[in-house]
Amino acid sequence: MKTTLPQKKAKTSKAYVFALVIIALFVLVAIFARQLAPHDPNARSFKISALPPMWVHNDYMMGTADHPLGTDRYGRDILSRYLFGVRTAVLLAFCAIPATALLGILVGMISGYLGGRTDRFLVLLMDIVQSLPGIMFVVIIILILRNRFPPVWFSGCLTLIIGFSVVSWVGLARMVRAQVFQLKNELFFEAAVSLGATRWRIITRHLFPNIAHLVLVWIANNVPAIILLEGILGYIGVSLVSAGIDNEFTVMSWGGLFYTGRSTLSSNPMILLVPAASLLLLSMSFVLIGDHYHRKFSR
Amino acid sequence: MLQFILKKVLRVLLVLFGVVLVVFLLLHLIPGNPLSNYTSNAQKAMVNYVADEAILRQINQRYGLDLPLWRQFTRYLIGDRIDGKFVCGVICGNLGPSISQRGRPIEDILFTPPLGKNFWHSQFGYSIRLVLLSGLMAIALGVPLGILGAKYYLSPYSRIQSVFLAALISIPNFVLGLLAIIFLASWLDIVKVIPDWKIQSDWLLPAFVLAAMPMANVARVMQTTMVNTQNMDYVRTARAKGLSERQVRLVHIMRNAIVPFIAYLGPTLVELFGGLFIVENLYGFPGFGRQYWLAVTVLDYPMVLGLTIFYAAGIALINILVEVASELLDPRLTQAKEQVAP
Repeated sequence: MKTTLPQKKAKTSKAYVFALVIIALFVLVAIFARQLAPHDPNARSFKISALPPMWVHNDYMMGTADHPLGTDRYGRDILSRYLFGVRTAVLLAFCAIPATALLGILVGMISGYLGGRTDRFLVLLMDIVQSLPGIMFVVIIILILRNRFPPVWFSGCLTLIIGFSVVSWVGLARMVRAQVFQLKNELFFEAAVSLGATRWRIITRHLFPNIAHLVLVWIANNVPAIILLEGILGYIGVSLVSAGIDNEFTVMSWGGLFYTGRSTLSSNPMILLVPAASLLLLSMSFVLIGDHYHRKFSR
Repeated sequence: MLQFILKKVLRVLLVLFGVVLVVFLLLHLIPGNPLSNYTSNAQKAMVNYVADEAILRQINQRYGLDLPLWRQFTRYLIGDRIDGKFVCGVICGNLGPSISQRGRPIEDILFTPPLGKNFWHSQFGYSIRLVLLSGLMAIALGVPLGILGAKYYLSPYSRIQSVFLAALISIPNFVLGLLAIIFLASWLDIVKVIPDWKIQSDWLLPAFVLAAMPMANVARVMQTTMVNTQNMDYVRTARAKGLSERQVRLVHIMRNAIVPFIAYLGPTLVELFGGLFIVENLYGFPGFGRQYWLAVTVLDYPMVLGLTIFYAAGIALINILVEVASELLDPRLTQAKEQVAP
């Protein structure tokens, strides 16, 4: 008689699939932004400036189907700018998250693995960074950096990415450090050391696989954070929009839309609502994904 | 205990020194200086502020902006001779004059209320009030929700509640605040777009925006710890002794469920203080989060440094208080520590 062990059912929750679909949609929009956008996002015309959304028809304002979400005060199409803003958001997430994760893992590993004086110094550094007000620290770093890069649109992204990394590596580094300290007491670690494994091999083969799940959950929690940060900074008037000389007219980002939209709240709330709703959708899906991984790894 | 507290205080002082050093250096790395922003500011030009060379030099001398960087740092931290008299710096609690507000002392700007008002009407008081209100909101709504969720665990009610809480957790306060402005203020006209801070009811929306995520977290933590303690042996013993359900819940379950909850309060408060920087700028709230942003834009060095010191010290204080409180509430923690490290 053939006996089989009870197979563990790989169950994928509906919420997880839903979240993945949403994120895939955003990435697709980012890739095909040029094909989806009805207009050139930077085409200006004062004949069609400050149009309301297309469904608004009253004595004062007349929306047109040509510009579904209306236009800003320079006559630029909001929908096109939003779609290109998705591209900026995805780009930010794809660049900032790996950079920050790398920094966090590196510092956490060094701190946890070496211990002693190095560890004490790095923990002090983490304490210092964590007791600064995060958003304002990013603002200060952006103000420092924004005149030192050529004024093209991705230099704004670069300053934002650097600012984000400088602040957010701490959370990951702390988690990695604590985990490495735990792992150092495990038997397999002792075995690896006594077998004469090199430091590099221990770190890559023995420690890293055991912190990978932490990194995954951290990534899921922090992808919305960078996109949100761009939005907040745009709303209060820093961010990519003003990070270069001519950038106000060339950078398409959600933060820029927030900046435009806060003064047209009554005439065209769509400028605020559409990116805000997308931020909501994105952060919800990433929380669902984070929860999924958290449950999967902490069985 | 005394040694423990002393050690903590020394540590906090070290961190504060690091914070001041880092922020000081970074602020001076920002291109431009307070005076370049001061003279080019359109508002200043409107009131016919014309600065010639001599006046600029005098202002520079007044704020010590002409000194080398390290002298400026020691002047800020320890003190310097000003007009032949030694004036003590931050170590004596003197945060220096604000450059953008014509040399008014920072403590004065932050803590002195307008004439004839009490402390709660000062800039700092406003922020503290907002944090306290939203903290109370988070606890007053979150704890009962958590207890109810634990009592009716696995019932349809608790499932609906957990979905609702998960939704609240995943909404960032910036987005929640924006949506509230769009729907409640602009479309439905329930609240004002620009709140009047003299009216108490106008505080509710910003406070709720700030409190939403901590509230959901509090409810979740409360529910899980309650459910975990419900299944402990001593709870079964208490029930078997014939104690009333209420006594079991209040004395045996709550008392032990509150320890992880207290440990969670620290991060929650820190989160609330961090959220101030977003919510205050979103609603134009006259507190220190908005003041911080204004000070950064005009490069008011002493103001930014002073606010940073207060923020960092506040966070350190919260962390220490939580550590002490959880040790007092749960003696097991101290004993465990003593056993590990004699």
